[in-house]
Amino acid sequence: MSRGVSLQEGQLLARSLKVSRSTHLVVASVAAAVAANAAAAIQLTGPVGQIALLALIFVTLAAGTSAISSDIYARSSQTIANLRSLGASSRSLSSAVFFSVIVYGVAGSALGAGLGATLGFVLGGQGGAVSAVVAVLGVILASSAAAAAGVYAGGRRSWSG
Amino acid sequence: MERLRIIERNEPAAQKKFSVEVKHVSKSYGETEIYSDLHFQLLRGTFVALVGPIGSGKTTMLNMFAGLERPTSGTILVMGQDITEMSDDALGEFRASTIGLVPQVQTLIPELTVRENVELPLHFAKIDQENRQRKVDYVLEKVGIRGESRRIVSTLSVGEKQMVSFARAMVNDPPILLLDEPTEALDPLMAEVILGLLRGDNLTLGRTIFVTTHDRRVTELARKTLRVKKKIP
Repeated sequence: MSRGVSLQEGQLLARSLKVSRSTHLVVASVAAAVAANAAAAIQLTGPVGQIALLALIFVTLAAGTSAISSDIYARSSQTIANLRSLGASSRSLSSAVFFSVIVYGVAGSALGAGLGATLGFVLGGQGGAVSAVVAVLGVILASSAAAAAGVYAGGRRSWSG
Repeated sequence: MERLRIIERNEPAAQKKFSVEVKHVSKSYGETEIYSDLHFQLLRGTFVALVGPIGSGKTTMLNMFAGLERPTSGTILVMGQDITEMSDDALGEFRASTIGLVPQVQTLIPELTVRENVELPLHFAKIDQENRQRKVDYVLEKVGIRGESRRIVSTLSVGEKQMVSFARAMVNDPPILLLDEPTEALDPLMAEVILGLLRGDNLTLGRTIFVTTHDRRVTELARKTLRVKKKIP
């Protein structure tokens, strides 16, 4: 007997919690916008500026995804109580929100980072193609970590509240 | 003050045959005392109806048996397991495999189909897909709503939703079924179907059934009737 949360169960729970296409679109588009700007700008600045930009990505995306996950829990509090009465664990509910947000956050940031890196390269970014690749990887890593930290923090705040 | 009749108390032959054991349970909301020092057991396979005035704490008792509310003091054992000591997640897991619950207020997920709603407890009990399919088909057929399985729940009538709740409560074949005013929203025909199912499950499967009700048809069906005498002030 598996103790994990299956994909089908996660999808059912996400739909139950009203994690809709609109939610996915908000997460993906915000992540893409932030990542595109950062990936372009990283190539046009020095090491200190690059670190500052990555830190900025982390903080803003973590705050955004934390707010989105808190909102999902808050507007679905009755549904969560109903699902708990059927046997849903806090882990399965958290996982459903976590993966919904993470998947679209990472997809959006990857798309945005690719576009931004191309733009930075075209605009004459320092370091050429290698720098562009590094910018893409750095931005995706920072965005993914931010999304994970944000959703986790939002979930923690909601469960403890 | 003990406000509930005590049944099946300390029957030696029935040791380890109880589905629910209530041991010196008290329940209060703030200063308002709902139950004080309740002590009784329900035999496995019994069919008990709990009756009493509105607001007398019937739903509170049912919720305590389901582990949805915890007693202020005392212990409740369900199928030999002390549910008052379980964590919320352990309780959820226990409920998914042991208790079928039909609450008075609809708790179906309106965005999901009939089939998906009925399937939910099986996911939580970690039943594999093949068995989920089989169990859901069986229970939808049994309740008579298999033809509605693809409908979104929000499009169903109140009575149809209640039938889905029944199907969901019974889908995992739980040894205990807890029902809160189950026939209230049903037309006579649907009520007959449900009463027939309850009687059949109780007699042939030995399922313990605990039901709060104002419906005379349900109390006549039950083997025992508990009466909460007073309305909570």
